[in-house]
Amino acid sequence: MASRKQQKEQAKAERLSQEAEAQTTQRRQNRVRLIAGAFAIAVLAVIVLVVVSQSGDKGGSASDVSGGSEVEESLRGVPQKGFTLGDPKANVAISEFADLQCPACKAFADSELDSVIDALVKPGKAKLVFKNYVILGPDSETAAKAALAASAQNRGWQFVELFYRNQGIEHSGYVTDDFLEAVAKASGVPDLAKWNSDRDRAAWSANLDRVQSEALRLGFDSTPSFNVVGPGGQSEVPSDNSASSIEEAVKAVQ
Amino acid sequence: MIASESTVRVAIVVLSTIGIAIAGYLTVTEFMGEVPVCAAGGGSGCATVANSSYSHLLGIPVSVFGLAGYVGILASALIPGESGRLGGFLLSLVGVGFSGYLTYLELFVIDAICQWCVASAVVMALLLILCVLRLLTPDAIGSRDAMS
Repeated sequence: MASRKQQKEQAKAERLSQEAEAQTTQRRQNRVRLIAGAFAIAVLAVIVLVVVSQSGDKGGSASDVSGGSEVEESLRGVPQKGFTLGDPKANVAISEFADLQCPACKAFADSELDSVIDALVKPGKAKLVFKNYVILGPDSETAAKAALAASAQNRGWQFVELFYRNQGIEHSGYVTDDFLEAVAKASGVPDLAKWNSDRDRAAWSANLDRVQSEALRLGFDSTPSFNVVGPGGQSEVPSDNSASSIEEAVKAVQ
Repeated sequence: MIASESTVRVAIVVLSTIGIAIAGYLTVTEFMGEVPVCAAGGGSGCATVANSSYSHLLGIPVSVFGLAGYVGILASALIPGESGRLGGFLLSLVGVGFSGYLTYLELFVIDAICQWCVASAVVMALLLILCVLRLLTPDAIGSRDAMS
């Protein structure tokens, strides 16, 4: 039988062991809490980042169409007839097949178009023809017809450039009558009433069908795509769609 | 068998340095007004993504946030103990969450893929795995500084 002293020591050992175990459990629980807290903070941070990202200016606002003066400056002094920009007698024609809702087309308009106009169109080396290649559904078709109606008043390029500068998120429903009218107004379309009634012309559907057939014949399955035609034949532009690639293609057919 | 914490920390340093290089390149091209060199997506994917309205947060290029995140993860790998482990876990989790959102935008909203963004998303995902591993190493589980 254990002595009183031994019993005391045994009880003390048991108590110490229980305390150590409780400490370990406590430590583990605290650690789990810390990790869960870090996880919650991370989730919250991601939500905040996504909300901030979504709340920025995404374009497509009828009440805030901007860039009219910049577009006017970019196209100042360049002849325009219908959707042909530049000297109509230029022996090289650059056709841009583009969809107004397409972000890659906007990227081209934002970063390359001015260089193409300055290097090729203004000096009369080439004319630039915009072709509405509708690949993104009904809203793109509505926008294309509005652009064609603007081109009937020789403001098609202003309309297209302004549309891209104010482009919203595709398929988000921003291509409303109000938005299109705001773009037409800022594009300097002289007769807005005529533009509005022209949007429904049956001829535009035929135009879009023609462009569709031409694009498919050329093997274009994305936008923007470019076809360059001149005395030296025909040349396609590499898919980087850079101004320098377009200049190379023009040189190749001059 | 779970690797030792020091091995995991070395791997985090290496990967976060790669991440810094990628985000740093994108940041430099952005501030120089250039478009990143892009081999994917026919060469125009990076330009499309860089010109999209999602390329900036509060007027700051998204790549700057990425750069800050990678620097933070690198710093966390150099910090011993639980604060370093938790810091790395927190930052890499935010990085993966936001990279996932950006990848979704590329695929379904912007309709363009930027190889640098994809590379960054992969690096961030690997960093999250490493940071979780670091939390689970025997050193970490048995550490007394867990409470400190």
